[in-house]
Amino acid sequence: MIERNERKAYWRHTKVQMLTSLLPFLLAMIILPIYADALNEKRVLGMPLGYFLACHGLMVIGFITVAVFINRQDAIDHWHGAHEDF
Amino acid sequence: MAFTSSTRLVNPRLGTYFGIFTAALVALVLMALMLEQLGVADPLLRSLMFSAPLLLYAAIGFNARANEPHDYFASGRRVPAFFNGLVLGVAVLGGAGFLGLTGALFIAGFDALCLSIGWCAGLVFMAVLFAPYVRKFGTYTIPAFLGRRFDSRAVRVLAAAVLCPSILLVLVAETRFAAYAAAWLVGQPEPIMTAVLIALVAAVLAAGGMRSLTWSSVAKAITALLALAVPATIFGLMASNLPLPQMTHGNTLRVLTRMEMLRNLPIVIAPPLAFDLPGVGMEALGKRFVQSFGNVGTLGFVLASLVMAAGVAASPSLLPRSGTTPGVYEARKSLGWAVLVAGVILLTLPAVAVYLRFLVFEQVIGQSADQVPTWMQLLQQAGIAQLEPSTQPISVGRLGFERDAVLFALPIAAGFPQVLVYLALIGALAAALTGLSASLFALAAIVAEDVVRASPVEVASDRARLGRARIALAGMALVAVWLAIAAPADPLQLFLWGVTLSASGCFPILVLSIWWRRTKAWGAMAGMLTGVLVAGAAILLGESGAIALPSALAGALGLPCAMLVTIVLSVMTPARRLNVLEQLGEMRVPGGETVYDREMRLLRLKNRTPS
Repeated sequence: MIERNERKAYWRHTKVQMLTSLLPFLLAMIILPIYADALNEKRVLGMPLGYFLACHGLMVIGFITVAVFINRQDAIDHWHGAHEDF
Repeated sequence: MAFTSSTRLVNPRLGTYFGIFTAALVALVLMALMLEQLGVADPLLRSLMFSAPLLLYAAIGFNARANEPHDYFASGRRVPAFFNGLVLGVAVLGGAGFLGLTGALFIAGFDALCLSIGWCAGLVFMAVLFAPYVRKFGTYTIPAFLGRRFDSRAVRVLAAAVLCPSILLVLVAETRFAAYAAAWLVGQPEPIMTAVLIALVAAVLAAGGMRSLTWSSVAKAITALLALAVPATIFGLMASNLPLPQMTHGNTLRVLTRMEMLRNLPIVIAPPLAFDLPGVGMEALGKRFVQSFGNVGTLGFVLASLVMAAGVAASPSLLPRSGTTPGVYEARKSLGWAVLVAGVILLTLPAVAVYLRFLVFEQVIGQSADQVPTWMQLLQQAGIAQLEPSTQPISVGRLGFERDAVLFALPIAAGFPQVLVYLALIGALAAALTGLSASLFALAAIVAEDVVRASPVEVASDRARLGRARIALAGMALVAVWLAIAAPADPLQLFLWGVTLSASGCFPILVLSIWWRRTKAWGAMAGMLTGVLVAGAAILLGESGAIALPSALAGALGLPCAMLVTIVLSVMTPARRLNVLEQLGEMRVPGGETVYDREMRLLRLKNRTPS
């Protein structure tokens, strides 16, 4: 169980983790589609690059974001002793 | 009654049970294929494909009965991360994703990706911002979460009033999509199918609440995934020799782009704030598939993605599902599975759209009227496609398609056996039923727990509490039937309005209540009201044409207004009470007992009469 004086440090760590997880994804989901037409000159797997990045790229980035978040947040929980005991 | 659950309570045979279900479903499809080849009458095949999966879902649902609030509202907190993620991934898309998005992609091409991106981003936001904390708090509804977070009954009741319209809109939209798919499958009118489906869903939910909902939804999710994968994979194999349509539709897309150029399909540039996705009825293919910002403008695309993401992340019908997992870590993991499942679906739907569009350009456009292929005539007879009569060769402008029929038009166009068309339909029906069930249950739970509450619910006996929940379920089912039959609007539009209201009324308050400790009850109440009122007014003004903002993007106004009002009022009102801050601190830490479960345990101990 987490010590009382450890809570502040734990929450600061958690907030940094939240921001580092969401901000890159947020930027990607705004910027990638805007430049899709310009990127469509090149092709990946036969698909125009802009379409590929907006369709496949963002799904992959989303999944990686969540997977990394789960892993890192669990490490933060254990570091501060905030994890669940089963 | 046991409140503290752990991973040890998870049923180890779940994989076996759903393996048996999957085998039964595959056997049903194979048997129907054989019967079709043997010349069995089409109405019999349709009835078999419609009723057999529904009976299986109902059997699973009735078998998962619940007699305790903990089971009824939170499925005993015993749902493993994978199964929870599977249900979330399909329920978040529902019929709007399977039918509406596929059609929108087919007609509008790239521009409809704003919805895909919003759906995926919504699940990512839910995983990081909300799910772990809602799970740690452990309340059964979002208004109850907000009410306890601020220790205010007024916040709870107001949140219920504010969130109900958004859930109701999504519920009506999903009901319309489910009835649409069922009507195609059975050949009965939509109003009859609406009543039949809602009655079935309500009966299953009344038996076991969230428990029935979870396990029957796992079966529906498996059906939806299988039904989507089979036709798309077969066509992918035919087109590229690889069974991965998500990754291999590129070559088909390259040929399609070339054909679109040769047929002089125009390049359209929409105004920045435009949001003109195809509606119901026949829609022509107005622009090239990969060309961006022809139906939806640049700003409209970005705003639609953000509003959709915020609305999905704070969805009051999906977020309480985090409470069914055994712990906070499992809740996070379940969202990882949900992103994976939804991502696979969202990558398959564009492949379906590209394949059908390719067939249309290869075999229909440029042909004379007497050379139209048989499948096109079948689509016309079925009312899925419309061709303006003329002696000239067929041009794109003369051809219209019904948006919501695109998913099951592909197996018809590809010349697959009729059973595969019915398989696509039961997949769409299963997805819509998953979304419908989640919305109906969440709405009934809010009405029973947060609105109709003469005395504190937690003190009431289990029997009284479940009785009230079941009555609320029956009432909401009747309202859903009436509204689904009476509401004439486009179901995708209804869905988007529901999401935009959730983005305005729920997202800002949930973010601030978890991540900003200075948020106070007055700020939360004013913020919720402002968000919903501003978004509601923007929807009405947008629909009447009084403002340039499209009604589906009303959340782009409502969300910042709600956030601003919450922050200003929270700063202006007096300091928080100590117990509220203590509770917030506890919610932010994964370890320890679920806050709500501990409160209930202590309350029961206090109320227990000495023997």
